[in-house]
Amino acid sequence: MIKFVDVSKTYPNGVQALRKVNLEINKGEFVAIIGLSGAGKSTLLRSINKMIPITSGQLFLDNTEISSIKGRALRRLRRSIGMIFQSFNLVKRMSVYNNVLTGRVAYRSTLRTLFGFFPREDKMLALESLDTMGILDKAFIRADQLSGGQQQRVALARALTQQPRLILADEPVASLDPITTVQVMDDFARINRDFGITIVANMHHVDLALKYANRIIGIKEGSIVFDGGSSQITDDILVNIYGRSLKHDEVLGE
Amino acid sequence: MVILVGLVVGFWQFIRLDPGYNPEGFRLDQLWIIVEKLFTPQRGRDWSDLFRYMLTLENPLLQTLKMCFAGTIIGSLMAFPLAILSAKNIVKTPIIYWPMRILMNLIRTIPTMVLAVIAVIFVGTGLLAGIIALILFTFGIMSKMLYEVIETIDMGSYEALESTGANKVQSFRFAVLPQIFPIFLGYILYIFEINIRSSAILAYVGAEGIGTPIRDNTLYNYDYVGATIIVLLALILIVQGISGLVRRKLQ
Repeated sequence: MIKFVDVSKTYPNGVQALRKVNLEINKGEFVAIIGLSGAGKSTLLRSINKMIPITSGQLFLDNTEISSIKGRALRRLRRSIGMIFQSFNLVKRMSVYNNVLTGRVAYRSTLRTLFGFFPREDKMLALESLDTMGILDKAFIRADQLSGGQQQRVALARALTQQPRLILADEPVASLDPITTVQVMDDFARINRDFGITIVANMHHVDLALKYANRIIGIKEGSIVFDGGSSQITDDILVNIYGRSLKHDEVLGE
Repeated sequence: MVILVGLVVGFWQFIRLDPGYNPEGFRLDQLWIIVEKLFTPQRGRDWSDLFRYMLTLENPLLQTLKMCFAGTIIGSLMAFPLAILSAKNIVKTPIIYWPMRILMNLIRTIPTMVLAVIAVIFVGTGLLAGIIALILFTFGIMSKMLYEVIETIDMGSYEALESTGANKVQSFRFAVLPQIFPIFLGYILYIFEINIRSSAILAYVGAEGIGTPIRDNTLYNYDYVGATIIVLLALILIVQGISGLVRRKLQ
């Protein structure tokens, strides 16, 4: 489904974030990317939906090479990819329902959406997503009045409303407390299992990554140093990825 | 703190060096005479005459309100697209936002009075000149205030919208607009207040409104001027009150 071939990314300021990355992710997998801050996790993730364009190599999404894609084709591509952010990135003043509805914006013409006209099926989809995430009762509350965990669920509902094949998550639980973290990770697992949506997530907490993902990618200084199942991870491998033994805040605990 | 002290001292020195500075101090007695003339009936009139005069001010007052309303709304609506095009976080290429900002600064440099004079040259004296002057003034300050607001908003939700495949217009409409709209409304009210106050002065160069009676009566009928000032003050207080109420509700 996603294929990286010798992908490199060098930022305009000279920093090389990805060095000849080769990677293949299959449909339905739950992939966790781990590594130090600055190792290239975010760059790797964001290059998949071209929020960050790569500087060399080839990136295939469902056998379509994306470096030359732009404009309408790019937007059509992004439509079926949901993205979850560490800081939720909801529109604070809008209601939960309206936030979730924005997941359909890319499917409708600019003029219609400008006036806020969404067809009935879109509205139903939005409500269904809210129901799936268990927050239907919060539909008409302002987004910023919810707790962190609830806001991330709204973000997930928004992503689901896109009817995506793939969800990218950039440290989705890093801002949440331990209990809510587990709840949201359970949500991700459920979405992956019940809907067959591929999940690629940057994880700050290693034990969480090991627990929920069936495939782990370890990144160090722009290169992949580990690619395999969670059962294959040993302490030595972790020391290699992190260059040291894990710190207190990289493990959730229990 | 030091800068503040420095400014105060500098300013004081500057006043002393001004040849117009009267070393005997401010002539407070003169001031009192004028105040007296403003607020007591003159030329054989009495209080009831003054009161009746205030009632005749209803028409100029309505003119002023109409003028300010039109000028503020139209100027604000014009400023909206310019502000968007000047915001660095929306329009990333300098080729677009630089000329927009220069245009904005140019218009803003011209004082309202001058704008009014120019308007009078083009359309003659009267209400329309005032409206045009206010439109230009409003356009000038609203576009700057607005683009500064746009640049300070949280772009996270904008990024999120773009990641779903929305185009720039859609991302703007759903992520940026909800954040700036209440502030935009607040600014409209604020500028409306300013324009009400300007309109008194604009009358001196030919626009109409509540400034006209002030201008006409300044030499011989100080009591009328005083009455007009009171009416204007009442208007400003009411506008401020309503504006404060509405702005609080927007929170």
